[in-house]
Amino acid sequence: MRISFNNRFFSRETWTAVGFLLPLVGFVVIFILLPVLGTLTDSFFLDVTYRPKRFLGADNFIWLFNDPGFGRALRFTALFVLVSVPLEVILGLIMALVLNERLPLRGLMRAAVLVPWAIPAVVSGRIFELIYNYSYGAANYVLRTLHLTQGPVNWLGSEIGAFLALVAADSWKTTPFAAIILLAGLSAIPADLYRQAQVDRATFIQRFFKITLPLLKAVLIVVLLFRTIEALRVFDLIFVLTGGGPGGATTSVSLFGYNYFSAGDFGYGSTASVILFIMAFGLSLGLVKLGRVEQGVMP
Amino acid sequence: MNEDAFKKAIIFTAAAATILFCLAPFGYMILTGFSRYPDFFSPQTPWVATLSNYRAVMFSESLHFTAFLRNSIIVSAASAVISVFFASLAAYAITRLALPGKLLFMFLILAMSMFPPVSLVGYLFKLMTALGWINTYPALIFPYVAWTLPLSLWILVSYFSRIPRDLDRAGLIDGCSRLQILFKIIFPVAAPGIFATLLLAFIFAFNEFLFALMLTTDRAARTIPVGIALFEGLHGQIPWGEIMAAATLATLPVVALALIFQRRIIQGLTRGAVKG
Amino acid sequence: MPAVIWLVCACGQANDESVVFAVGGAPSEVAFWEELLVDFKRQSGIRVDLLRQPADTDQRRQGLVIALNARQSDPDVFLMDVAWLGLFVASDWLAPLEDDVEAAPFFQRVIKLVDRRQEHLMALPVYLDAGILYYRRDLLERFQLPGPPGTWPELLSQALTVQRAMRKTNPRFYGFVWQGAQYEGLVCNFMEFSGSRGGFLQQGGELRLDVAANRTALTFMRDLIRQYRISPPNTYTEMKEEQVRLYFQAGNALFERNWPYAWALHQSPASKIKNKIGMAPLPAPPDGERVATLGGWHIGLSRFSDRRHQALKLIRFITSYDTQKKIMSRMGWNPGREDLYDDPDVLRRAPQYRELKDVFQYAQPRPLLPYYTQISAIAQRHINSVLADRKSAEQALSEAQGEIDALQQRYDVE
Repeated sequence: MRISFNNRFFSRETWTAVGFLLPLVGFVVIFILLPVLGTLTDSFFLDVTYRPKRFLGADNFIWLFNDPGFGRALRFTALFVLVSVPLEVILGLIMALVLNERLPLRGLMRAAVLVPWAIPAVVSGRIFELIYNYSYGAANYVLRTLHLTQGPVNWLGSEIGAFLALVAADSWKTTPFAAIILLAGLSAIPADLYRQAQVDRATFIQRFFKITLPLLKAVLIVVLLFRTIEALRVFDLIFVLTGGGPGGATTSVSLFGYNYFSAGDFGYGSTASVILFIMAFGLSLGLVKLGRVEQGVMP
Repeated sequence: MNEDAFKKAIIFTAAAATILFCLAPFGYMILTGFSRYPDFFSPQTPWVATLSNYRAVMFSESLHFTAFLRNSIIVSAASAVISVFFASLAAYAITRLALPGKLLFMFLILAMSMFPPVSLVGYLFKLMTALGWINTYPALIFPYVAWTLPLSLWILVSYFSRIPRDLDRAGLIDGCSRLQILFKIIFPVAAPGIFATLLLAFIFAFNEFLFALMLTTDRAARTIPVGIALFEGLHGQIPWGEIMAAATLATLPVVALALIFQRRIIQGLTRGAVKG
Repeated sequence: MPAVIWLVCACGQANDESVVFAVGGAPSEVAFWEELLVDFKRQSGIRVDLLRQPADTDQRRQGLVIALNARQSDPDVFLMDVAWLGLFVASDWLAPLEDDVEAAPFFQRVIKLVDRRQEHLMALPVYLDAGILYYRRDLLERFQLPGPPGTWPELLSQALTVQRAMRKTNPRFYGFVWQGAQYEGLVCNFMEFSGSRGGFLQQGGELRLDVAANRTALTFMRDLIRQYRISPPNTYTEMKEEQVRLYFQAGNALFERNWPYAWALHQSPASKIKNKIGMAPLPAPPDGERVATLGGWHIGLSRFSDRRHQALKLIRFITSYDTQKKIMSRMGWNPGREDLYDDPDVLRRAPQYRELKDVFQYAQPRPLLPYYTQISAIAQRHINSVLADRKSAEQALSEAQGEIDALQQRYDVE
């Protein structure tokens, strides 16, 4: 029998635990935490490839907040999040409801739903780049066949068209994830409740709003938060589908920062990404707080 | 009864719509990859099947497509294996060993995975430059491991916490060290969960774009997502046929994995996101 | 586990045995370079690996910026858009060439304005571009107009006359097509409308945009679309090089502003306007001299190259008389070497080179500041908003000036 110390700060078990955790902590600290701190530091400097590095204090931030380009990027990102996230969650809920039913070919449906999620965002970007192509994209073909438009629509050449194309592409890619998580939440709802409701002659609609939604609330909020954080940092899709255009109309904050990095201005790009980081971090703290509340509520 | 039939009709329509929604763009990609003319939707252009796009993508030297595929697979596999290994160590500690502030730790790690990649990549680029790692595998593997660790940790904690402690106790009584318990007892029991985590980590690493874009400049080291995003092809204006053929080939690994192991993957995802 | 990691690390290294030459552009361009390099290998025994970059100019720049900023030894040699030279020189990424190449045969004005910086020769022009005016000779004759216009007001009046008459049979006919979409080409057009007293004026270290000549020019550009209607309504949304060229080539315009590349296409066998066109310098503004925006691509040597000797041989090869002549005959590009423009062979094949030679003598580069791309982005946005009738010229120029001042303050304050 091994003797273990009673003092919980020096027990052998604790040391083993620390050892087991060390690699993970090491990786995360060096390759996630450190870069973020590095970026944060860099945002206080003039860091461009063609000037000597110089401390600026808060000047980068002042310039950033007065920069109409950044304002546009913020507005676009906010609009993108506000439009696409609810859309994806609603569509995902519908999909989850469908998947929850006992249908034939359920396996096929599950597999189909995974396909958009599994492929890289840049691939889905190029597919939709072709779909929205002016001359021979499927979108214009469908619109013309249905006689909804006269001539071809220049999706990617107009601000609104490009925005809609992005929302459509993003929804296609991310709705499956929402659907899968919501499905898990749905299957956690005890079937007895529905049976009881049927005995009580409740309609489908009533069952949905009185049973399903309330019990799904926790999962819905988790999905909403997850998706919001993801949508905030959207990059891959925009890079490929619109390149941030036309004329910078669909440049997200991520792309804004990247454009400065690739023009050699690391200081200013870091400043923009710090702002984005603060937004994402704030939201994820909300998620954390929610999780801790959850701990008390869920068994 | 009427409501029942009505409801059934709606469900079926929704199901069909779901399948269409999910697979239509994907099918479009495959069709275009096999098509001679990308504009086969217009009434004048016929649909001519051809393998020339695939031939061009796979065998032309200057496109380096096979190099991209190889790099992606190696980098993603290595990252997944390393990530799952370290995550299982940590998950074991979290679920089995006494430690203060576990929940806080878990949530902090989760928060780290929410950081926008653009907020990391500037400094990562400088770090990799200083280390001389640009255009090498470590430049991508190390960040990818860190990137997939939080996800792996959450999923594995969920799986490990369902494994009864009695198994551990049996091992301890036999005089095994914690490490031995992990590998000899826990791993076999948790194998499905570990496998699911490996799959998810692989898929996430495979699809990553921004780090690969900035930490590699050379076709010898670039990955599939970068290759597809910057793909220009050999002949013609924008060679949509070739792009879609390349895209199909590019997504073959991940889609195949997703289809074959769909139950595992879905299980893993939901375990990670929905606690309980 | 450590062994696995190490092994994986070792496998990722790039092959470093040849000179790496970064090119991009249309697939036909890349194919041309590939052929050329076969010749080079035969002549010199040096193998060159072509680094194929995307066709998009911005992406080409991004790729080079990242590689050079990471002090990568590859690519050794690369082509640069003339607009990037400011950034590349200021970031100290180029190795001086003056000891190893001959600059005398090239257009000295270009060398002086663009390639020679801080008394070092940093690059050589491989091919040049400048904005020119294409016109329908047959239509000018038919309406008894003297010849291509010398000033913008003249162009306007000629265009109005011809358009009014042509509209009777061709409702899609426009007097003047030019690039007005929100992209770099718009800035080039703007500089040409403004002339020598306008464009980007550099006074000391400061860039000035809100000057009278620019106000006049912007208002004129907007009026061409909205008031006089001699330019199509989609000028400011869609018109870029190819759209403009195709419109003119279909016979639907009297005047076209474009780069020299369009000439060969206009004269191709299938063209509707073959042998009906002429090429002339762009008109001058009422106040100031005419300006043609200088474009083109230059070749540079990376300061971090590990194959300097071989790379220089490659540069000498590409800028040699023979190769430059091939560039002209095969690709239709305008060589950077001035001596080629007197070659009888060349002039026989392309008589318009006589005019072009003159144009390059007064072509004007865009500001060679390292942060030019950001300045251009600001200018593009504001100029386009005037064309879209969202702002007046005064307002747009003063707002643009404000943004440019802020930008300069950020980068230049000591």
